[in-house]
Amino acid sequence: MVVYSFYIFDRHAECIYKRRWLPRPTSTVGKSRSDTVSGAAPTGLGQTVRSTDDDSKLVFGTVFSLRNMVRKLGGEDDNFVSFTTSQYKLHYYETPTNTKFVMLTDLKSPSMRIALQQIYINLFVEYVVKNPLSPTEHPGGVGVNNELFEESLEQFVVRAL
Amino acid sequence: MAAPPRHATMQSISNGGIAPGTDRPQTQQTQAQLSQQSPGLRVPSNRKTIYDRHLNRSRNAELSRASFAFLFGEMVTYAQRRVTGIQDLEKRLNEQGYPLGLRLLDLLFYRSTSTSSSALSSSSTSSSPPNRPLRIITLLHLIHGPLWRLLFGRAADALEHSVSPDTPNEYMITDNDPMVNTYISAPRDMSMLNCAAYVAGIIEGVCDGCGFETKVSAHNQPTELWPSRTVFLVRFGDPVMEREKVLERAGVK
Amino acid sequence: MPDNTRGVFSLIIINKAGGLIYQREFQSGLRNLSTNDYLVLAGTFHGVHAITRSITPKIPISQPAPSPATSSTGITAPAASGYSYPNPGVPVSGLDYLETDKFRMTCFQTLTGTKFLLFTDPLTGSVDTIIQKIYELYADYVMKNPFYQIEMPVRCEAFDRHLGAWLRGRT
Repeated sequence: MVVYSFYIFDRHAECIYKRRWLPRPTSTVGKSRSDTVSGAAPTGLGQTVRSTDDDSKLVFGTVFSLRNMVRKLGGEDDNFVSFTTSQYKLHYYETPTNTKFVMLTDLKSPSMRIALQQIYINLFVEYVVKNPLSPTEHPGGVGVNNELFEESLEQFVVRAL
Repeated sequence: MAAPPRHATMQSISNGGIAPGTDRPQTQQTQAQLSQQSPGLRVPSNRKTIYDRHLNRSRNAELSRASFAFLFGEMVTYAQRRVTGIQDLEKRLNEQGYPLGLRLLDLLFYRSTSTSSSALSSSSTSSSPPNRPLRIITLLHLIHGPLWRLLFGRAADALEHSVSPDTPNEYMITDNDPMVNTYISAPRDMSMLNCAAYVAGIIEGVCDGCGFETKVSAHNQPTELWPSRTVFLVRFGDPVMEREKVLERAGVK
Repeated sequence: MPDNTRGVFSLIIINKAGGLIYQREFQSGLRNLSTNDYLVLAGTFHGVHAITRSITPKIPISQPAPSPATSSTGITAPAASGYSYPNPGVPVSGLDYLETDKFRMTCFQTLTGTKFLLFTDPLTGSVDTIIQKIYELYADYVMKNPFYQIEMPVRCEAFDRHLGAWLRGRT
């Protein structure tokens, strides 16, 4: 299974965290940080950062529209889970506080709903919400891109998935 | 037979007449060569056109139903231009079918005489070789059976005579699922329209070709099982009915 | 009767401009929307479909060792010039399947740009077969109907009839 990217949107429809994983050759064993590009903290490796900002807006627009469509057709208690194209699969998880977690993976991946829920409960709540130094709102991603959260997300995606 | 060589001679003369080196004769020559090498789309290389084939060759040949549907659809669209109403549209479709019926009749007779008489229904082949139908019933059987088979590959579903004593000149031919209407859904405001008016025109042409003055119209008579069931109402003219009485007295079959 | 059409909730057809041209419910299971809501839904989905196509992840083609040194020398970074899609052999499509707790939506886009949206129960199988058959019936009873105007709402009684009959006869 391959994870391409991961987004968190807050209740103000703002992208407060995004991260992309560049697929690496399968032979490479080392899981060094240089293989990944963190959009929230644009560093020297600016290869694909260029388009991620626009992408996150498009991703939000897509999931927002689809979520509303699903609610309209299936009722208020229905939940938009995922969609598939010929190239990728998008997984969606929404918390009761209206924070949205989105993950793009390859087509072979199973349902990521549990995984996104785990990221929310075990990583986001633990390292962002419970962090006394983190603000309650995250304009521009402030407070989300802390080391603990990023490291554990990295480990979760690379090891657990 | 003499045409191709003569053409070639003329070409060579014209080539000789114009000084070599100019562009024109060269292009003419290439054109001539091209037309000789590839004889174009219309005439196959063996010089046998579709007209050279035997008429019975395509007797059992199959046609694409889709291409017919598209062609017929365009015919309906064409007939729809500047029509004043449903009746006008049906009249135009009828007029498109009429000449086909006239022409088709010859093919029908040709095929039913040149091959074994089993092609015709038994009632119309009481005497062989089959004659042109003289009586109404013989004609209607010809339409119900052989004509329908020629057009649609199967006989029509019913043939009835009007039960009303006022209209002894009316006969009904029923088709449960007319092929021309297979893909057609008339709009709601034109629910009376039946595009099988085209087939009614064909029937009219066939009757006229046999010397029966007739008016044929197509009517929707849907049932639960057959939603596009169509009844062709055949109304023979008064002279035909009078002749029918004379023939009956004379014992002509 | 409707029990035999189990699993298929409804069908929507969207023309290539994003306009709703057909909507029919076969079995209750989804909430009923007003005609206007369906029109909005069709238009919205038309746009979303195009976006889902454009956010397809692009995988940079591995260049011969693009070390940080080369990019700092002023030569334009080699990456971002070449990329491929995750499934290079397959044409890039927009949203094909959407899954929710209560239903599954399958989108089939014809080569001419018409979209068929089929809403089914999440457990209904062979959805692709159903959609192919619907496309076939559409090609037959809509496109071959001389009274149908291209890109306009589908009001073809024969299409409705055959579609209903086929879905009912499906086991």
